[in-house]
Amino acid sequence: MATLIRSKISNKLSNAATSVSNKSQAKVSGMFARMGFQAATDEEGLGFVACDDLDYDHRQGLQMDILKTDEVGGEGGGEIGGDGAAEGDSHYQRDSTGPPPSSSKDGGVCDELAAQDKPQITAWEAGWNVTNAIQGMFVLGLPYAILHGGYLGLFLIIFAAVVCCYTGKILIACLYEENEDGELVRVRDSYVDIANACCAPRFPALGGHVVNVAQIIELVMTCILYVVVSGNLMYNSFPTLPVSQKSWAIIATAALLPCAFLKNLKAVSKFSLLCTMAHFVINVLVIAYCLSRARDWAWDKVKFYIDVKKFPISIGIIVFSYTSQIFLPSLEGNMQKPSEFHCMMNWTHIAACILKGLFALVAYLTWADATKEVITDNLPSTIRAVVNLFLVAKALLSYPLPFFAAVEVLEKSLFQDGGRAIFPDCYRGDGRLKAWGLSLRCGLVVFTLLMAVFVPHFALLMGLTGSLTGAGLCFLLPSLFHLKLLWRKLLWHHVFFDVAIFVIGGICSISGFIHSMEGLVEAYKYNLHD
Amino acid sequence: MPRSETFPRVQRHAQIGSKPSIDSISAIKCEFDFQLKTANTRMRAGCGLTYTCAVAAFAMWQSDVMMKLIGCRTLDSARLQRLAFVFFSILSRILAEQEVENLSGLSPNPDKDIFVVRENGTTCLMAEFAVRFLVPYDVLALNGIDLITEQASIALPRGAEIEGKCGNAEAEVQISWINDAYVFRLFFVKEVHDSSKGNDIWKISKVQLLYDTSEKTHFINAYNPGKHTASSHRLSALVTPAGQSYECQAPQTLTLISTDHQKGVTVSLSDIQIQPFDITSDFTFSPAYKCITDQREQLEELLPLILGIVLGLLIVITLSVYHLHLKMTAHQPQLPRDRSLYKNILQF
Repeated sequence: MATLIRSKISNKLSNAATSVSNKSQAKVSGMFARMGFQAATDEEGLGFVACDDLDYDHRQGLQMDILKTDEVGGEGGGEIGGDGAAEGDSHYQRDSTGPPPSSSKDGGVCDELAAQDKPQITAWEAGWNVTNAIQGMFVLGLPYAILHGGYLGLFLIIFAAVVCCYTGKILIACLYEENEDGELVRVRDSYVDIANACCAPRFPALGGHVVNVAQIIELVMTCILYVVVSGNLMYNSFPTLPVSQKSWAIIATAALLPCAFLKNLKAVSKFSLLCTMAHFVINVLVIAYCLSRARDWAWDKVKFYIDVKKFPISIGIIVFSYTSQIFLPSLEGNMQKPSEFHCMMNWTHIAACILKGLFALVAYLTWADATKEVITDNLPSTIRAVVNLFLVAKALLSYPLPFFAAVEVLEKSLFQDGGRAIFPDCYRGDGRLKAWGLSLRCGLVVFTLLMAVFVPHFALLMGLTGSLTGAGLCFLLPSLFHLKLLWRKLLWHHVFFDVAIFVIGGICSISGFIHSMEGLVEAYKYNLHD
Repeated sequence: MPRSETFPRVQRHAQIGSKPSIDSISAIKCEFDFQLKTANTRMRAGCGLTYTCAVAAFAMWQSDVMMKLIGCRTLDSARLQRLAFVFFSILSRILAEQEVENLSGLSPNPDKDIFVVRENGTTCLMAEFAVRFLVPYDVLALNGIDLITEQASIALPRGAEIEGKCGNAEAEVQISWINDAYVFRLFFVKEVHDSSKGNDIWKISKVQLLYDTSEKTHFINAYNPGKHTASSHRLSALVTPAGQSYECQAPQTLTLISTDHQKGVTVSLSDIQIQPFDITSDFTFSPAYKCITDQREQLEELLPLILGIVLGLLIVITLSVYHLHLKMTAHQPQLPRDRSLYKNILQF
């Protein structure tokens, strides 16, 4: 009994001692922070970022204090404290790499846990993700676009790459604001934040809601499209089996179920890497086959004029295949060195442009007037079977990226703690997903399956929504937000580009919308006649 | 009532060839009311007629039993028998006309028709299908020298004349319309491999189509009009185990070679149910043997359901395993990730 009381007293004394030392350290840090501020105004000593570091120490010290009094055992407190610090730090977005390792007592542990919780991706991994988004399934329709557009189609492929690279960069530029020192600081985190900031004075939440809805529609439709495409390709590859397209779609969904367990962008980047490799193999196979028939190339068939009736659809295919802007804010936010973002954008778009242009031109030259809507229909059956299998693999591997992005958008907008959103948080305190959160993710996967199976003419419907949401999110909104937020800093040629992109994007969107509606009405009439 | 209704124009009558069933049934004179169907004066030969006779015979047998039960007077005399037969044939034709019309109205396929051959008072061959013929024929071109091949699409009209012959190992049915301008024949044969093992099968052995290109409704400006015959060569189709009827919804196509310069006539049968042998009861098909295409389609339709159930089970198992895993490994206190909720844990 006496030893028990003595141990309790000694515990309390040691706790008190540590709390005193923590508090004094916190006070000192706070003092330094304040001094740091003043120092900045006096000399050019401490920049804003360094002040941030000191403030971080201060808060870390306070948190350590709180947790030590709550928890008798120290180990759990340290870990969770580090975790909480890393999470609470998200509001202090800095350009450097995560929490500085030397700042706190359990700095090493905190760093590790921050890395486990939200690991940062390298520029290469961000590049794979962007490539996954811009080199999609629509590359198979490009030779058909050249059939109807000739040289203009080729020019459009290059031009669209340039424009989309530019809009991606200005979108990310909207995330940053200049502080008093002229340094760029990341004040906004996502597309929704940018939209809210633009509509700030009168409608503080309207812009965010519009962008949310557009993003969710675009992402979910992309996921559904991948399920439809994989079902269709498998059905066409094995017509002798009694398995219908619906059955193949269900099998594909069963294979995609593990996507519900995705936690961070690093895992998604691995899938994107495999997807890019599959795409590369497809390109190599088709180009090699076309090169083997190089003697028969019809150079004189490439037209200078346009087929006015059919080309607008091709415009849609070419232009909307470069849509990666939805993923850019979260990609850039998770990069270890965000300064490499511009370089990554340039290289991915150049690579996409070259590969797409080469593929479209070479395939068109091989088959000229006989080029079909999907180039795999032109291939001989053995190569077609192999290419089909790789296409199915590509479709399945492309699914995680839009799925993860959709889950992120939904969680941020609908599932937040503290009454910020309608539903409670999907994650537990230790960062793991709750069971019902997992069931919601599985529900989203099943929803994409049901839409893929029961909605007829899905490709046309996707063209319809894509011309609205895709064009909006890729051309109209970035230029609009760029003009609104950074008006004072723009040079005249930036303004000119933004306005031009807005106008061109509007025209593409309207023409795509009209043609998709026409196509849908015709398909509906044909069905009714049948 | 016009004479044609009482005495049919068609001389060939399935019952005339075979022993009339009247002999076994005594003539019955009874009074009952019926409403004459005056609105419908269309002659429905062939199909209606065989059905009529069948219904008449059946009606007579039934009424025989009924009358015996309620005790009508029965008269035995040949003259009365004949009068009664005529009387009943009128009545039953009227009823059967209604029945045949209803039958065609029930089927959703307008081309589908039923063909029955009766012998000895029972049905011996029943065939139900929709058929379309694609017959190529020559037409003189505008320059007056060349010959162009045109295609005529012919369907079986209602009320075609049916003839048939049944046997133990062979059966045939002959359908003719437009005054024998077109005659369609199906020949069935039953093969007995090993009577003890029950490997008997029946199948179509020959299909024949006789057509006359001088017939104006389908053949427009045919060159050298005349009668031609298109037959099959070494055909073995619709193979079915003996004692069962053949059923197939999916369309089946046969090509017949015509005597008109060896042109190919395409016969496309769909919505088929045929039984040429071993019909046990009147107008009833034996258990059906489904064709392979139909079986595949059934499997194709069943598979998504099975896979969907498997997927659902998979999801449920995954969720419960994850839930249990969380329960097992959670021994640390949950701290909220949002700093604003720290106030809940501040206890001092």
